[in-house]
Amino acid sequence: MDYAAQVTAFLLGQMPKLLAGFAVTLTVAVAAIPLALALGVVLLAPRLSGRRLPSGAVQAYIEVMRGTPLLLQIYLIYFGLPLIGLFPSEFTCGVVGIALQHGAFLCELFRAAIESVSQRQWEAGRAIGMTQLAVFRYAILPQALMKVLGPLGNQVIVLIKDTSLVSAIGVMELTLTGKMVIERSAASFEIFVAVALFYLIVTAAVGAGFRLAEQRYAGRL
Amino acid sequence: MDVLAKNLPYLLSGAVMTLWLSLAVVSLSTLLGFIIGTLGAVGGRTLRALVTAYIFILRGIPVLVVMFLGYYAFPAFGYRANAYVAVGTAQIVYAGAFVAEIVRSAILSVPAGQFAAARGLGMPRGKILMHVVFPQAVRLAIPPLLNTSLTTIKQTSYASVVGAWELTWAAREVVERTLAAFQIFLGVMAIYFCICYPLAALSRWCEGRFVVAH
Amino acid sequence: MIEVVQLTKSFGELRVLDGISFGVDKAEVVVVLGPSGSGKSTLLRCVSFLEPYDDGEIRIDGELVGYRMNGRGERVPRSETENARHRQQVGMVFQSFNLFPHKTALENVMMGPLHARGQAKAEALEIGLALLAKVGLSDKAHEYPIRLSGGQQQRVAIARALAMRPKVMLFDEVTSALDPELVGEVLIVIRELAREGMTMIIVTHEIPFARDVADRIIFMDKGRNVEEGPPGQVLTTPASQRLQLFLRRYQGDYLAT
Repeated sequence: MDYAAQVTAFLLGQMPKLLAGFAVTLTVAVAAIPLALALGVVLLAPRLSGRRLPSGAVQAYIEVMRGTPLLLQIYLIYFGLPLIGLFPSEFTCGVVGIALQHGAFLCELFRAAIESVSQRQWEAGRAIGMTQLAVFRYAILPQALMKVLGPLGNQVIVLIKDTSLVSAIGVMELTLTGKMVIERSAASFEIFVAVALFYLIVTAAVGAGFRLAEQRYAGRL
Repeated sequence: MDVLAKNLPYLLSGAVMTLWLSLAVVSLSTLLGFIIGTLGAVGGRTLRALVTAYIFILRGIPVLVVMFLGYYAFPAFGYRANAYVAVGTAQIVYAGAFVAEIVRSAILSVPAGQFAAARGLGMPRGKILMHVVFPQAVRLAIPPLLNTSLTTIKQTSYASVVGAWELTWAAREVVERTLAAFQIFLGVMAIYFCICYPLAALSRWCEGRFVVAH
Repeated sequence: MIEVVQLTKSFGELRVLDGISFGVDKAEVVVVLGPSGSGKSTLLRCVSFLEPYDDGEIRIDGELVGYRMNGRGERVPRSETENARHRQQVGMVFQSFNLFPHKTALENVMMGPLHARGQAKAEALEIGLALLAKVGLSDKAHEYPIRLSGGQQQRVAIARALAMRPKVMLFDEVTSALDPELVGEVLIVIRELAREGMTMIIVTHEIPFARDVADRIIFMDKGRNVEEGPPGQVLTTPASQRLQLFLRRYQGDYLAT
């Protein structure tokens, strides 16, 4: 029991540092999520347009994002931008990198949700004399928004976990904080158990939140 | 462009390491995940609860954190494992959770009527599992499993953050030496793309085929 | 009021409508019978212009449906707005109801007046409540489709179509997807509409209902109008062999070939 007491005391002592790192993690996530959502929506129009060039361009972008690691993309931004005279902070590089990759995935997610609304709904709307735009706005889009909640929740959780990567370019978020604590105080791996717990709390909360939203708003589907 | 060409041999050797890592992690995590996922679907109550906890915990934390845990845990318990073993094991445990979830839900989504029909014919439980449930579950599981393998391959790049040398670390070394960030990183992205794209295309093709077959 | 002349339509290689012609007078109820694949659904969808047609004409009150003659005497497709306005006059009820699952029964009925015709909410509300009362579902106004039985959903679908005050109502096998005990409540509503003088084209398998409600029966096979006439004549003394076979199957001899 002496070991457990020691470890707990140590971890509690590190709590201020861990909380600071946790705050940075949350800040990165909160900054990247709206950007990624916006990008996903912006990419949606060309993707769904049915015209080969815009749709193909977006598809190619999504394929590249899907086929290359996020870490590399972040490195590219962080090491590359200074070469063309831009000097954004590590924080900005990380947020932009995350938003660029997740924006691509969100576009696919939104597209799948829209296309999963049955063709018959389009017909029902047109049959009572609604224009295509009206059908989309009042019949299709609301249903797509309800269907997107589940996959969206999962994607947000992945995004929160991906914030750990910005530790590679020096942003003092939770993961890097853990690494610093070990390197500076010869502590052992238990600090990362605490780090893991922080992430677990956030992802569990976000997951529960989205599930609740699904039940409340998508239950009638 | 010569920067890229000059360093290509070095980078390609990094790619080879990435491929080895990927192969090891994907195959072992798939094996682990299959076993755990099956137990999670057909096992007793405690077993299923344990599996659920395992999946929940590992899916809720970043793979990088799991890798760090592995990296620092091994020496703490007295094993002088090299970086690859530590990080690789961590990734296997992590990816195994995702595979387990896919396998578990695939087994559980084989229609209950199938099980009932087989029992009605008098088949024993073990045989039902092997000949009726598994073949259908595997069909359902293959597209998401391919996607998970894709993610795992990309995640081997994070090993560089923890201290295992592979393609991404090699790329960073070259860039720090030559300052040719765009050429090198874009070139390495192309290498990853060549590795990953066939898998992504295969996954999409399978999705098309298996949906029709059902 | 409705004129169909030599209507032709193909899906790729498959010719689904093969020069069918017939007319429907105002307040007339025409029932279309036929084996599956005979083109009945496609016919209705062309009248509503949910599908374009390749050749021939469909005219409602003299106006060509879906196309327009341009200055050079060529046929050109109408704009989406024109087609939308046309569909406001043609009410269509589908086999799979196709209610909007995210809206209540009342909101479903109000959809057309609100978002197709741009009427005010108060007006749409009045129309909605009146029509739900007409189909006997006042007490279900605030329920979502997921909580309604098939028969109830179909009645809401009929109310939804009626909300646009159409000139003609098209029914595409509207009871085929229902459990037998729910069929009656829908047929009662349709029969009442017929009594009130609504012009209707009904595609159905319910032969006794057809006999009861139709002014005229058209038998279709392979995209053509094979036989036509009042129900008393066509159903009791079918002239064509194909209709005889069809009726035998529906009247108990289900193995007939």
